[in-house]
Amino acid sequence: MITKNAPRFTLADWLPKLVMAPTVVVTLVCMYGYMIWTGVLSLTNSRMLPSYDFVGLSQYERLFNNDRWLVALANLGLFGGLFIGICLCLGVILAIFLDQKIRNEGAIRTIYLYPMAISFIVTGTAWKWLLNPTNGLEKMMIDLGFEQFTFDWLVNPDKVVYCLVIAAVWQASGFIMALFLAGLRGVDGDLIKAAQLDGAGTFTTYRRIVLPSLKPVFFSALVILAHIAIKSFDLVAALTNGGPGYSSDLPANFMYAHTFTRSQIGLGSASAIVMLGCVLAILIPYLYSELRGQRHD
Amino acid sequence: MASLVIDNVKKRYGNTSVLKGIDIAIEAGEFLILVGPSGCGKSTLMNAIAGLEDVTEGRILIDDQDVTFSSPKDRDIAMVFQSYALYPNMTVAENIAFGLEMRKVPKTEREQEVQRVAELLQISHLLNRKPSQLSGGQRQRVAMGRALARRPQLYLFDEPLSNLDAKLRVEMRTEIKKLHQKLKTTIVYVTHDQIEAMTLADRIAVMKDGEVQQLGTPQEIYDNPANLFVAGFMGSPAMNFIPAKVIESGNTIMLELTTNTIETPTTINTIETPTRLPFPNAESLQSHIGKEVLLGLRPEMITEPQPHKAGLEFTVNSHVNVDVVEPMGADTMMITRIGNNEVNCRCHPSYNMVVGATCEVMFDTSKAVAFDIESGQRLD
Ligand SMILES: Nc1ncnc2c1ncn2[C@@H]1O[C@H](COP(=O)(O)OP(=O)(O)OP(=O)(O)O)[C@@H](O)[C@H]1O
Ligand SMILES: [Mg+2]
Repeated sequence: MITKNAPRFTLADWLPKLVMAPTVVVTLVCMYGYMIWTGVLSLTNSRMLPSYDFVGLSQYERLFNNDRWLVALANLGLFGGLFIGICLCLGVILAIFLDQKIRNEGAIRTIYLYPMAISFIVTGTAWKWLLNPTNGLEKMMIDLGFEQFTFDWLVNPDKVVYCLVIAAVWQASGFIMALFLAGLRGVDGDLIKAAQLDGAGTFTTYRRIVLPSLKPVFFSALVILAHIAIKSFDLVAALTNGGPGYSSDLPANFMYAHTFTRSQIGLGSASAIVMLGCVLAILIPYLYSELRGQRHD
Repeated sequence: MASLVIDNVKKRYGNTSVLKGIDIAIEAGEFLILVGPSGCGKSTLMNAIAGLEDVTEGRILIDDQDVTFSSPKDRDIAMVFQSYALYPNMTVAENIAFGLEMRKVPKTEREQEVQRVAELLQISHLLNRKPSQLSGGQRQRVAMGRALARRPQLYLFDEPLSNLDAKLRVEMRTEIKKLHQKLKTTIVYVTHDQIEAMTLADRIAVMKDGEVQQLGTPQEIYDNPANLFVAGFMGSPAMNFIPAKVIESGNTIMLELTTNTIETPTTINTIETPTRLPFPNAESLQSHIGKEVLLGLRPEMITEPQPHKAGLEFTVNSHVNVDVVEPMGADTMMITRIGNNEVNCRCHPSYNMVVGATCEVMFDTSKAVAFDIESGQRLD
């Protein structure tokens, strides 16, 4: 006897699953699969080709005794800190200025936002020319008559990281501005009126009332910038190629160099896993607070 | 407390005139209510009083001081917004104290003031919460507390109760009334709620399209509307407007209207019975003899026949068709049709009315008003 409620698998039931399947497979294999593989490789003594001679954590030990890695980490700290800090400050300030009902706001916003549409390779190349001492900014100033002017950061091992900061800030601050501008537009106009009636000036209004209510935007911007900083690779590749020497290396460049050009797959994998750890250290608290926030509201 | 004078205030945005010359003067301690349809410029006028928007023309005086060009903080005004506009990142106590802090009041004094206001509004137990942790009614109280803390010269309320549910709205309305009686503050208050307007106001200003149509006490506005708009806007259900012909009968002027009645419940033939109504102040209709006017009669002036009123000068009984019966508890609204207009009659719930049948009603025209059909202006 056939019951009326017997489960029948029709095409309509299967179609969504079928359509989603390739994406799921690709994500599982290419993201998580390779992530795990990298983790496994970081525990082996793989050199040019993957091998499965497990050597425990000795690759990590080598990594943290490696001068070049320590330079890359220190660079990341300096670059990341300055990049994030300056981007946030500039973004907030630009957004507040743009929020003052000025004319041509649309045009100005687009101009600021445009760098984000360019790849870091193009940014890096453009700034390489601009900052180049022999035919960039320095030459222009000298041609203008400032004979003593020197600007050699790009070739100065102590200063080259700041060049990375300049280029990265140029690229990302417009985007941060757009984020904050959207946040500012979302602030209830009555709040600002209330503050005015309470006797707060423009500066106090922003500092005490408007900006604190943008905390979620601030947080999102921080996370976006932090992971741009950690995965920065192309900018360094195009602007300085890690040089002079390896003074402007960032972890991603270190990882690439060791894994793919210097036949140190084990060491490279270990560095990749450390970077993953850094990203997770930022993302997990963020996701946690986001999810918890949702449950509360 | 301060008086407020709004002297011929105009406001234009580009080519659109939003306020077209507003003249309102209120005494210190008076409770003024602004009513009017959406978009008539009430919020704009409030913003102009607060100094949040510049006026295009005219003057604003608070306590006889010309403040037309002063900044909002120098006007010593507090405003309660429809959205409450509580500072989301501050606690209730900080919200209330913020205005004092900005005016450099010492900390101990601020704390005392917060305590005083919190006790007044019964929100002492909420002082350490954030606005997001409060209910609508509690937020509303905090918003009022923030306004009260500074002891300003003038309070502005822009639809403060419209986000509350019906029960809470009634409670807060009473609370605001008590507060006003206790503190004797000068208040300008915007509302869409008829009952709020009638119960709270010392005077009501009815606005339309950026103009004040009438300014008067609630009773004046209710009994003596200046024009058709005010008459139709105030009161719920609205005043009935019945087309009527001005006729001379004997040596008195009367209004004649035609009620339709069905001969018997079984036939569909209607008979038109002319009903002649006396009119107080009838001489004022002299110039309209032979013409149609609009007779304005509040629903409570058309009732079931009331023995104690029978035979009085301005009562007339007539028959009408019952179209709809709407029991409302205390009264029953009976809707009929006179001419082409629907007419609400407020009858006693025990009065027997059958839909589709005829019933007798009593017109009491002692408070009737008449309007010109074209211009809508009062005639009497
Ligand atoms: N910044 C502005 N620019 C142009 N027109 C405006 C501006 N602000 C308000 N208006 C217009 O002014 C008119 C009055 O607006 P206002 O907010 O004062 O109405 P309101 O009486 O408070 O209405 P509501 O009861 O819906 O709150 C509206 O027609 C509105 O479109
Ligand atoms: Mg409004």
